Amino acid sequence: MSEKITINPVTRISGFLEIEVTVENHKVIDAKTKGRLFRGFELMLKGRDPLDAIYYSERICGICSTAHSLASSLALEKALNIIPTEQEQYLRDFMHGCEFIQNHIRHFYQFTVPDYIKMPQSYPLYQNRNYDYRLPKAKNDLIQKHYFESLEVSRHAHQMLAEFGGKAPHNHGVFVGGTTMQASADKVISVKSILFDMKKFIDEIMIPDAGTIAQYYGDYYDNGQGYGNLLSYGCFDYKDLGTLYLKPQIYIDGSIRELHTDRITEEIDYSWYTDQMDSYHPMETIPVDDQNKTGAYSWIKSSRLENRPFECGPLARQWLSGEYRNGISTMDRTVARVLEVKKITEILSTLLDNIVPGVNTQLEYEIPVSAAGAGLTDTTRGALGHWLKIDQSLLSFYQIITPSVWNLSSHGNDGFPGTAEKALIGTEIENEDNPVELGRVIRSFDPCVSCATHVIYGNKKSKTIQVVP
Amino acid sequence: MDDNNKKNLVWMELTGCSGNIISLLNAYEPDFQYMLDQMINLIYDHSLLASEGEMAMDKLFGMLDQEYILAIEGAISTKNNGLYNVIGTWRGETITGLKAVQLLGEKATQVIAVGACASHGGVSAGAPNPSESVPVSTVLNRKVIKLPGCPCHPEWFLSTLAHLLLYGEPELDEEGRPVFLYGVTIHQRCERRSYFDSGVFAEKLGEPTCMFKLGCRGPVTPIDCPIRKWNDAVNWPVQSNTPCIGCAQFGFPDKMEPFVKYIQNKNQQAGGTV
Repeated sequence: MSEKITINPVTRISGFLEIEVTVENHKVIDAKTKGRLFRGFELMLKGRDPLDAIYYSERICGICSTAHSLASSLALEKALNIIPTEQEQYLRDFMHGCEFIQNHIRHFYQFTVPDYIKMPQSYPLYQNRNYDYRLPKAKNDLIQKHYFESLEVSRHAHQMLAEFGGKAPHNHGVFVGGTTMQASADKVISVKSILFDMKKFIDEIMIPDAGTIAQYYGDYYDNGQGYGNLLSYGCFDYKDLGTLYLKPQIYIDGSIRELHTDRITEEIDYSWYTDQMDSYHPMETIPVDDQNKTGAYSWIKSSRLENRPFECGPLARQWLSGEYRNGISTMDRTVARVLEVKKITEILSTLLDNIVPGVNTQLEYEIPVSAAGAGLTDTTRGALGHWLKIDQSLLSFYQIITPSVWNLSSHGNDGFPGTAEKALIGTEIENEDNPVELGRVIRSFDPCVSCATHVIYGNKKSKTIQVVP
Repeated sequence: MDDNNKKNLVWMELTGCSGNIISLLNAYEPDFQYMLDQMINLIYDHSLLASEGEMAMDKLFGMLDQEYILAIEGAISTKNNGLYNVIGTWRGETITGLKAVQLLGEKATQVIAVGACASHGGVSAGAPNPSESVPVSTVLNRKVIKLPGCPCHPEWFLSTLAHLLLYGEPELDEEGRPVFLYGVTIHQRCERRSYFDSGVFAEKLGEPTCMFKLGCRGPVTPIDCPIRKWNDAVNWPVQSNTPCIGCAQFGFPDKMEPFVKYIQNKNQQAGGTV
């Protein structure tokens, strides 16, 4: 006999997500991940001054705002035909890297740890009914202590970002052409000292904590596998310095292959949108919202590459770059994320060592009458793309496909589940009244529903209006 | 911890980016743990709550017969009866952000709108406002303390909370903003004011002088960024060679654009207006 289980809300993620699974004989046989927040940034951006896209689009997400400011700047650089110097890229990427560190530390300690560590029940915030806490008290309490200590470290990651970005979240420093702030000895030595302490925390506390959790929850290496298709747009990849992390690439059917970005599509049969096409390339169209659509169940569309679903994020990057190939599972995702923090601190040290102080390459930008550009980069949660068009010197089209659209996508038009949905299927549920396993699987993807569901607009009346210029 | 001596705080994230709770976690002196231990009992926050699903909703609505301060980040989406922002399922019912604010907002001892979206709609209500988002004050018939800013600085929230706990409600301006935070414009205290006074203006981002002609909104934005600064006080937008974009002023973002004014600047120069 099968039973439906719903978790709504899935807490400790960014944004609003509902999970609905069908369980038979203690095993998930069907799953739906449902995005429950819609804002419609794509129509909001239309008609605005192109340069405003940077500070506007970063507000899609309070967690990964730097990523959006970077993708937006990259897309604008293509449209404006600006090629930033490699120097400018170092400082801009340094800021982006700070966000990786801040996000990963927060995700591990504040979002993931309460799934595996019993938090102090004297705090109302941490009271819960999870029955499956396995660590001996001393080890449990140590990681509990690190939960609070980590806040200082993640705060310092934002501090490093703000040294060059003005503030975080929602920085000002990432811009077309690179950055607005120049490196200087006082700032460089300040962030170097922060990074030095951070590395100690990561090596001596965070990585061992992840190891402890993995040791007691080894069965989580056996669930949450998903499709095993991996995707990265690449990041921290340079001409002069070489590839500090990875180039764009995919892993599918057992081999690593070249990424063809022209094969990226979105499908909308199972999400609350309608359009003349139900599958399209990013530059083609912006569907309109339609919550009454039959068969649809989520605000998150379904992004596909070569008509296949893909997973992106730290594990995908670690696998593709050859840094970590233990497996693809719930626990591998968490471990890869933690190991990636160390990798990023090393990359940031290299960037700092190569930054030349006092370089300002900002220009007085002229906006073309008509242009188009795409900005694709890997970021904290994976593959992020911004696609824009300019007409009459204003934004006339803006498409965003976030990492969480890849990972939390609804069913494809072919009926195959999205990446996280697939990962939920097959999960053994010990107690259907308290299915703690589901949240653990889903949080391993670090879902950001604020990002995944921001992007489309419309209403029924506007269906006949041509949105694309 | 002595729960009995502390007031309860419920923090709701609605139609927004969750950037205000992320910003709050950047607090220091007091930091987040001090707030939890010494200032209030944090009952609910979506990003941090250990429990999930029905139990999370039980926790939220269990507050209805208790006293609590309500902090809200994000706007209230009203489209399709609020179904564009569902925050959970409780006792078989779909709970929209709109419904939760109506239920919890009426009974709270104080309501604090944290950040631009909750205070005045902010980016979530940017034209053409696809989710039909409105500020908290639109759906509640009661006083709302507003802390606009994108995001809200952790100290703007914590000092307002401290004021409530230590001295009662702070003096508010006509718009509901605490005067001790929002009483003086950025321009009045800007570290680059001397450049403005002597007419030395930056022509592009990245320059160390006054960015008034690039569209700086410091003159119309009352907030204390120049003296408080951000992220352990290491920097703020003007210091990073970019204009203030008025994120702490009502009307942000639509009325504050363009954020960076190159084209208009040129036109002005051509017309001899500057």
